[in-house]
Formats: sequence, C-alpha cells, structure tokens
Amino acid sequence: MNAVTLVARREIDVRSRTKGFRYGLLVTAVLVAVLAALPKLIGGGSDYTVGLAGQQADRLQAALAAQAAQAGDVTVTVTRYADEAAARKGVEDGDVEAAVVDNATVIAKTVVGDSLAVMLDTAHRAVATEANLTAAGLDPAKVGQAQRVGPMKAVSLNGTGEDATIRRVLAMVIVVILFMLLIQVCTWVAMGVVEEKGSRIVEILLTAVRPWQLLAGKVIGLGVLGLSQVIVIAVVGLAAAQITGAVPDLPEGTYGVVAGAVVWFLLGYVFYAAMFAAIASLVSRQEELSGVLTPATMLLMASYLVGFVAAGAPDSTLTHVLSIVPPFSAMVMPVRSAVVDVPLWETGLAAGLMIVAAVAVLLLGGRIYQRAVLRTGARVKWREALASAS
Amino acid sequence: MLEVDGLRKRYGDTVALDGVSLTVRSGEMFGFVGANGAGKTTTMRIVMGVLSSDGGEVRWNGDRAGHETRRRFGYMPEERGLYAKMRVGEQIEYFGRLGGMSPQAAKRSADELIERLSLTERRGDDVDSLSLGNQQRVQLAVALIHGPELLVLDEPFSGLDPIAVDALAGVLAERKAAGVPVVFSSHQLDLVERLCDSVGIIKAGRMIAGGTVEELRARESRKRLRIVVTGALPGWADRLPGEIVAKTDRTFGDGARYDEVILTPTDDQEALRVAAQAGQVQHFAWQEPSLAEIFREVVA
Repeated sequence: MNAVTLVARREIDVRSRTKGFRYGLLVTAVLVAVLAALPKLIGGGSDYTVGLAGQQADRLQAALAAQAAQAGDVTVTVTRYADEAAARKGVEDGDVEAAVVDNATVIAKTVVGDSLAVMLDTAHRAVATEANLTAAGLDPAKVGQAQRVGPMKAVSLNGTGEDATIRRVLAMVIVVILFMLLIQVCTWVAMGVVEEKGSRIVEILLTAVRPWQLLAGKVIGLGVLGLSQVIVIAVVGLAAAQITGAVPDLPEGTYGVVAGAVVWFLLGYVFYAAMFAAIASLVSRQEELSGVLTPATMLLMASYLVGFVAAGAPDSTLTHVLSIVPPFSAMVMPVRSAVVDVPLWETGLAAGLMIVAAVAVLLLGGRIYQRAVLRTGARVKWREALASAS
Repeated sequence: MLEVDGLRKRYGDTVALDGVSLTVRSGEMFGFVGANGAGKTTTMRIVMGVLSSDGGEVRWNGDRAGHETRRRFGYMPEERGLYAKMRVGEQIEYFGRLGGMSPQAAKRSADELIERLSLTERRGDDVDSLSLGNQQRVQLAVALIHGPELLVLDEPFSGLDPIAVDALAGVLAERKAAGVPVVFSSHQLDLVERLCDSVGIIKAGRMIAGGTVEELRARESRKRLRIVVTGALPGWADRLPGEIVAKTDRTFGDGARYDEVILTPTDDQEALRVAAQAGQVQHFAWQEPSLAEIFREVVA
C-alpha cells in the first residue's frame, strides 16, 4: 500500500471514529428522514363521520363516497338519521362531526373543519346541480360529459416543462448540500494540517512521506468521507420518502443532474481543499485558523450565495457568466443545469476552466504547504510563502 | 556509517550552520553537545531531510542520502509530536506502515516495542490520555518501529525521570549493539559521558571539538591536581606552587580541619611536599575532567 493510501486511510479511520462525526451523521440522517416523511406525517389520511337526513340523502352519500375514493387516503363514514331532530342529537352526542339535512343545512357543534367543509360543499353542489339540470329537462350525464375538459398542455421554451418547481427545489437542495459539504470537509482538511504542524508530528511524517503525498492523502481521505456522508444522507432521505410515499415522480434527467453535481463537488473540493490546506499551513495553532481562513471562507460563501440566486434566476446573465467562471462555476453550474438545459459546450468550457483552476491551486497550494508546514512558530507571511513557492 | 560533510545553513542574515561535519560509525553512539541555539537541531533536521541545507552533504554508507534512504532512519524530533486522538497501538503501527512495513510486520514489531516499553495496558488508549513519560515512550516506539538503520534523537532524555532514563538508555544500547549508529543530543552531559562512544561539541554552527571522551580529556592541556589534607593550619595552601582553581575548607566541631584544593601546579612534586608538611594527605591525584568541565572549557 503506498503512502497516499495509508495517509488517506488514517484520515478516514480516525475522523469517522470521533463522536462529533458519528453523532453529526446520525442527527443529520434522522433529520433528513423526518423531513422527507414530514408531508405524509402531517397531511396524512383522515376519517370523517357525517350524518345525513331528509331529501337527497342517497345522492349525497354517493357523492361523498366518490370523493373519498378519489382522494385515496380519506374515509367518510355516513350515518343516516330519520329527521332533523335525530341528526341534531347525533351531532350533539358526538356520533358524527357534522350532519346535512335536506341538502340545505349543515349542522355542527361549532364549525365544520376545513377539509370536511370542502367535501360537503362539493357534494352539495354536485347533487344540487344534478337536481336543477333534471328539473330543467337536461340529462346530467350528458352535461357532465360536455363539461369534461382536459387541462392545457404546458410548453416551456427552455425545455423544463411542468417539472420547473421540482427542478428548482432540486437545485436548491444541491446548492445547500454542496456548500455544507465543501465547507465541512475543507475545514477538516485545514484543521488536520494545523494539527500536524502544531504538534510537529509533521517532522516525523515528512521523513517517511513526501509533502505532496501527505497532502494528497489527507485531501482524498477526507473527500471520500465527505462523499460517503452525502450518500448516507441521500439514501436515508430517498428511502424515507419512498416508504412514506412522499416523493413525487422525479423529473426526467434527475439522476444525470445529481451525477453532474457529484462531479462538480469533486472539482470544487480539489480547488477549495488545496486552498484551505495551503492557508492552514501558514499557522501553527488552531486558534489562528479561522482568522487566516477568512478570505477563503468568504469566497466559498460568495459562491454559495451566487448559487442560491442562480437557483431562482437560472436564465439571468449573471448566472450565465458565473456558471462558467471558476470557482463560482462549481456551485452555479450544477444549479443551473438542474433548472434549465445547458448547452454542452458551456458545460464543457466551465468544466475545463474549473479543472485548470483546480490544478493551478493544487500546484501552488502544494508548494506553499511544502515550504510553510515545517516553519513553526509565528505565522508565515503570505509574501514569504508565495515568494518561497515561486 | 553516517557522514555529515560541511553542512551550511542560513536563516536570513543568521548563520545557523557554518560547515558542520561529523561521522558516526556502525554500532557507535554519538553524543551531540552544545549550548541552546548552537545548531544541534538544525543539523539533525538536515540529516533527516526535513530541512534543506544551503551547502554540504549527508552521506549514508558512502552515498548521498535521499528520501528512500531516510525512510529507513528513525527520528525523534526535539518537539514531540504524536496524534493526540489516535490509539497508542494504532499510531505505532501506522508509522511502521509509513516506514514501508507490511501490516503483519508492523503489528509484530509494535507488539514487541509495546511490551518492551511497558505500554501493554495503554495500547488501546488515546495518546492524549497518557502521562508525559508514557507519551515519550510512544514517541520512542514511533522512532524504532521500522527497525531503523540509523537513529537520530533530539533531546531524547529531557523530561524523563531516572527510571525512564535507564529504560531508554537500555533500548538505545540494544540498538547500538545490533550495529545501528545512534546520534542523540543532550544537555545532560553526565549521561552523554556515560553512554556515548564519541562526542561532538558544537558552538555557533561549528564543530569545535570531537572524538571519544578520552581523546577530549587528552586534549585538555591544563592538568589539575585534587588534594585533600586534614589537620593543616589555615593558610597552608598559599605555599602551593601553581594556580588554585578551587578551594574548600571546613572546620568541624572538635576543631579538626578539612581542606580540599584543586590546583594547576607548576611543580607537582613540590606540591606534594607542601601538602605532606601541612597535614595528613588524604587524597592526592590528577583530576580527570568530566565532560561538563571539558565542555565549559571548550565553549568558553
């Protein structure tokens, strides 16, 4: 096993054993599962009890049954009463939530709940309309057929069609996950670099491995860990949604978009991880880290905000430009391609530029790291690190 | 055989090393001695390749030492470094693997060292839960795990209690007996004198003396006599020929006197006669300078 693999494996072993990682992952997974299942838990099925009396009770009962059948997870239990007095008593005793008399009066203890009110109102209109049509000498069935009109077909010029909302939500989810993942894993990289530099263990490590091997192992190991974290979250979320049946039919090309987001994560990760590592190698104590990392964190935050804006305005000029300019492209392009269809050449150009940027940062960052990581004590100045790196 | 040849290193305007050379043969223990900031740590870092030199060369068995050669060296840096949140056994094995060992060999070697350094009960504990002395043992195990061909230890004895010092000295002696050259720096000169076959004294980036302790003693030009006399009258020592380096006298309750004089004599026989006339001579001998005395002399 070569040095890079050994270093990467250590990072995975040690980091995944920490309480912070385990509980963090557990809490996130539970949270995601709950969120995914939430619509069903709240919205869930309902049982209604309704009393009917007087005229048109048969027709009303049929109309209510038809509605319940259509809704799927709703049941309506009907109790028939001889007259209004009996119906009133039934409501009063709590046998039924509401009672309809002569298809004209609704009786409830206080008010009828929203959903039930809508059902009763719909049934009332249907039955009353039918009666009116018959009275006017028309066939309700024929009228019904004449009124049956299909919805208009939606045509979207940029090709996303009726899935626009779902796609937009998907884009938002992608940008949030990309950001959280990048900032978390890159912070791990930075902390790891300072841990090794601050404790001087790096002196022993560098007698056995070369600086680039140490850096590469750390970046790869933590990257793998971050990625596996996303997979756990995604699987738990999807499973929870599937089990509760809350997931709507995903729009065409969702899997392609998700796969693309993973590739963009990797490119962005190499870029930011190398940057964070190089910056971290300038200081010797964890307390100095957040200060020195501020510019890099700001850059990542800016990308995140731009990505969020892009999810809302996928066709704006700003989104267009930033989806190609690195490092913003790492966050904006996956968002943009989630919402609209992006020409292949633009994706290719953005990816090419991002690869160039990532490689440049990797080379420069690697050299800064190599020079700075053994210079313990006072913070290494940017000017010195860059001068010695060139 | 380790050969360090004419190392030079500057930090800005400060000259840290100004042509440092030393040789450590197979099975030899070399004590590296010098004041703080004299260049010991810089030299060792360059030997281990964690610092680049501005000039000069480090050779191992005649060849210029590169990264692959240095992987077979064992190193204990001056500022101790271990992963605080990693278990003792795992940590030692990890460095064995980095040193090129197979998982099985690393495990076996770690087991041996853990046993030898009495860390068996702490094997599964995180390093930061260990006492400082035990952390030092882990540090040593990390340096030894891959059966290094050369040991470079920067201040390995600092902060150890006498029992731990003996344990460490024992482990180093074993390695030395197995033919491994050992280089270590220390400010505990009595220890260096006791353990080392040869000594190098560095001052301001230059080696100013080197050789076996006997050779250093032989070079000591000013010979000293230690004379102890009892029952002499005060002022007798003024008649001694030569320069008095140190003098102690005590008068006990019953009036008995005890005089101890360190003398650089101009005429040793005359000095003996003077002492014998003054009282009962209890001790009269050439003094062997300790390494500490040689060091002070040379560095001054």
